[in-house]
Amino acid sequence: MAERPRILQATTPGTFSRSLLSNITSTPNVSAMSTKNEVELKNFFIFNSSLGPKEGEEIKKIVYYFPPTDSNDQQIKNVGLVEGIIQFTETFKPSSEVSSLHTLKQRQLYYQPEKDFWIVMTLIVPTVKKNKDSTSTIEYLEDDIQDNVYSAVLQQAYLMYRLFWDTFHNAFKKDDINVFKTRLDVFYSAYIKTMKLAHSDILNIFSGIQYLPLDMQSFLKVQTFINELECNYNDIVHSAFLYNDHLIWSGIEPSDMKIAYQYLIGTLLPANMETELQGGSMPRNSGSPFAALHHGRFITGPTNLKTAKTVGKVPKIYLFGGKTPCTYRLAVYRALSASVCLFIKDVELSLGFFKELDEFMSSKITSIVSDIAEYCSKQVLTPSSLPESTPRFIYFNKLNLAYKSTVHLDNKQSGNIVCARDSLKIIADINKKKGIFGHSGEVIVKTMNDYWVVGKTSNSREFYIAINQKNASLIDISDEVKKICDTELKGIFFHPI
Amino acid sequence: MESEELIDCYLELSKDPVRFEAVNQLTNVFFDDSNKDVFAVRSGGVMGVVVKGPSNQHKPLKFRMEDHGPVLSIKFSLDHKILAVQRTNNSVEFMNFNGDSIEAEYSQPSKKSSNILGFVWVNTNEVAYITDHGVELYMVISEKKSLKFLKTTSIAVQWFVWCSLNKIALLASAHGSILQPVVLSGGSISKLPKVETEPGRMALERDVTLATLYGVPAVLILRHQSGPQTAEVHVHTLSGPGQAPVKSHVLKLGLSGRFAINVVDDLILVHHQASRSSKVFDTALSGETDGTVRYHTSIAPAKSFKPATLDIPGLVEPQTHDCELYSPNWVVFQPNVVIDAKLGCLWHIYLCLPEFSRLIPDLSICTQVTLKRTDAKEVLLKILLESIKQEKPDLYKIQEAFNHINSVYRSWADETVLNQMANSPGVPIPSRTTPNTRVLIDQEDIFDGIFVKLDNEDDLGKLEWVLLSYITSLAEYGIAVNHNLNELTVTTLARREKFTALQQFLQYGVVSDSKPLACLLLSLGNMHPAALQMALDMLARIDAKEEIQEVLLSEGQILSALKLAGESANPRKFLSAAESANDNTLFHSVLFHFRNSPQFAATFKKDERLIKFVQHYTTIFQDM
Repeated sequence: MAERPRILQATTPGTFSRSLLSNITSTPNVSAMSTKNEVELKNFFIFNSSLGPKEGEEIKKIVYYFPPTDSNDQQIKNVGLVEGIIQFTETFKPSSEVSSLHTLKQRQLYYQPEKDFWIVMTLIVPTVKKNKDSTSTIEYLEDDIQDNVYSAVLQQAYLMYRLFWDTFHNAFKKDDINVFKTRLDVFYSAYIKTMKLAHSDILNIFSGIQYLPLDMQSFLKVQTFINELECNYNDIVHSAFLYNDHLIWSGIEPSDMKIAYQYLIGTLLPANMETELQGGSMPRNSGSPFAALHHGRFITGPTNLKTAKTVGKVPKIYLFGGKTPCTYRLAVYRALSASVCLFIKDVELSLGFFKELDEFMSSKITSIVSDIAEYCSKQVLTPSSLPESTPRFIYFNKLNLAYKSTVHLDNKQSGNIVCARDSLKIIADINKKKGIFGHSGEVIVKTMNDYWVVGKTSNSREFYIAINQKNASLIDISDEVKKICDTELKGIFFHPI
Repeated sequence: MESEELIDCYLELSKDPVRFEAVNQLTNVFFDDSNKDVFAVRSGGVMGVVVKGPSNQHKPLKFRMEDHGPVLSIKFSLDHKILAVQRTNNSVEFMNFNGDSIEAEYSQPSKKSSNILGFVWVNTNEVAYITDHGVELYMVISEKKSLKFLKTTSIAVQWFVWCSLNKIALLASAHGSILQPVVLSGGSISKLPKVETEPGRMALERDVTLATLYGVPAVLILRHQSGPQTAEVHVHTLSGPGQAPVKSHVLKLGLSGRFAINVVDDLILVHHQASRSSKVFDTALSGETDGTVRYHTSIAPAKSFKPATLDIPGLVEPQTHDCELYSPNWVVFQPNVVIDAKLGCLWHIYLCLPEFSRLIPDLSICTQVTLKRTDAKEVLLKILLESIKQEKPDLYKIQEAFNHINSVYRSWADETVLNQMANSPGVPIPSRTTPNTRVLIDQEDIFDGIFVKLDNEDDLGKLEWVLLSYITSLAEYGIAVNHNLNELTVTTLARREKFTALQQFLQYGVVSDSKPLACLLLSLGNMHPAALQMALDMLARIDAKEEIQEVLLSEGQILSALKLAGESANPRKFLSAAESANDNTLFHSVLFHFRNSPQFAATFKKDERLIKFVQHYTTIFQDM
């Protein structure tokens, strides 16, 4: 690909700077002789211009800045540049604010979650170094960074903070600015380390929830368990029930659940799994081998009820999906492979309350989990057990945020995928342009390397299929898609039926 | 305190007892528990005999007999046409009775002058003597004023107990340590296997009761224990092969002293004289079991009878007499008769189910017990509703209660299906209560008796919980949920604005699909965007293509609807929809779709109503 002279190119969501087709064909094949640098974070900062309007006080605008190694001057310069771009683009009165800035070597993404607060993330464009005739050339892979994917990453970073610390403005009202800054620092310094920029893809855009397919009987058992729990303990306002990393029941709005789900799947449960594994699979220090097996424990709150003196850490969380924002304490109870999330009223919690809950849940949860496990064991097909060449699909329902993917072999964002990365990128591109479909529509894309990517949308759902089939005709692919839709989209209305 | 206890009383004596002349120096009183007749015999019958039936509706019979000595036993045949009177130890006199006087007398001595312990009417004209040597069966031929010997069996007998309902006599020998049941019917005497008790364990006549529990004859033996242990009732049901008695239940009384036993509505009542209270047992409950015998404790706290009074004619005005309850003069007869011979009263014992059921502390047991009682539906529904309306209802127990209810509901449904298959169509559906289902509570009953009454703003949360419990229970018993319950689930969740929950219920198939329900979801579309999606999904599942078309059209998705309609499309409908959509390209597409289709092209020439669309098309596109 020839190097083109670049000018500053600001894009807004309303306008597309590149055509869909060029994106597909221009992705270069990375040869074995080359070395590739993945996308990297250059900086990440949050500022509010109204905090330091006077000259000389620019540093006050910055409430968080990463990396901390950048000098104050550097920070002020970077923020100043962003402020300039934002003001400049506003003069053109676009339909929405500026969202990204493309340069040859960098990509900058802007997000204004609340009035005057901007979160900015600068990424270093991945490069490939090609060695040819003892001269090496560096090629910038601009198309590897998809704006919609990384905007979603940025938004997630905000929503996760808001889940635990409330909105910026509310925190501002309640606390001193320095407390606010420290909190941002503690939160984001840890959060940034967990961002998996190189493996961000369409799933970040969806930021959906995986539901467990389950028979009605087992679902009802879970449901009645939850009802009993909430009926017995009035302080428990909502609950959610997960089996491994699949959701079975959630009493809170999907828009809140998706963040809580990301926290559970991405942070809390994996951390807990590690401590479980360190303890060995069998409890070694139980008093008597004949003592009744006690299967559950709290993983937030008093994690060891026998020795606990206090209720421990029960994180406060803020939900915004309902009519009015609500504050709860989140206690998570884990037994066997199930996790019960309790959204408890923000009141003083006692150790006795947790002990009672433990007794209540541990006695009932075993039979529920064994039912679920039995049902799941009958569903032998997992994405990894399918043959390599099987068409892969990603499904998403906007209205309950449910997603399913046979492309991703896990949900750790570790890049463990079974189709070409290009196909995933095409899916993200189709998603970006799904507006042209209207209520329902379909796009079929063929790549240079004989991959076919099909995107369909209907009835508020999206369905993407990646097929790797050599020398196939459009009719073959269309038939194949129909077959997949027939099996995978049973029981829902998905046009055409 | 006392009045509070009285409110809780669940046993009562009949309000209008059968009154008879009390026992005195001249008058003897007899009770025949086959016909439930009370005989007041004055001076051996010379001064008259008054016979009163079990209820006050029948006119008492009055007649005189000649005095042949003191009467030992007196009983009418089952049709009240022959009177049998025993005055000596080895003979019974028979008299033909025409309704108000005796017409003829004849007598029949026992074989070999054996000692007659008693006699029983087995059938209208069959009488059996139980003697110390065994059983003798005779047929009475009233026209010939004679008896015909039918059959005899020889067993040593010391005393016996008779159950007129099952025609079973229990013959006791060796001081009650050997108990031999015999069935007297169809002119024959058949011995059943002996009641197996601990070897050598004796029993008194008054401690042995013959009863029928849930249609099965049973021998109830009161066992007094020595030392600190309390008394027990051992229940031997005649349920083994060949009606062999099987010791199947032990009732733990927790008391000792004098007891009396009655059976009301298949519940065993054990009256305790010292504490003046009665305990109730249900052998249908599972109880604790050791594999063969089930051990039961009383299901509700022991309570006394409700106070009973008698109106006695006074000098000036009638007086009220408080009857002594648990009096030493009481004699009980099966199944539910109490006689106070001194007072001249015969009562029937009744169970007040509402009070009784309310006193059973465990809702699950309460449901099991109540489901097996007569006319219990309203009572049970009321109790369920009360427990649901509590501050913190015990959903677990409520679920168990639903499971018991639905277990009966399911077996009734199965029986109905079997009956329908056996019967030809057109035969009316069997009544809602077959012998095996005393109380059938179906979905309509629960809906009207519980859910409707929770349908107010304050109880909506409870309604949701209980609906789910009930649906879960129905699912467990494989019973399809009625539409009104599905509808109530959807509307309840909608009223609580729990659309997320509704989505999940639909996703997991908790709410079953139907067109009316899909329409209901559609109507909720303005409350939540997901409602439309759920409605379309449901319509797709029941393959309601036409309805989907309509929905798509109303949503302005004209092309999608058109694709779905295919050849069955109505051109006018689509064209007018496209016209009102104000989208020229769309109108063009729709019009050309019909015009280019060979199927519809012809209709454009014929149907004048389509012409205006063509005209509209030309007005739009003429400038281009």
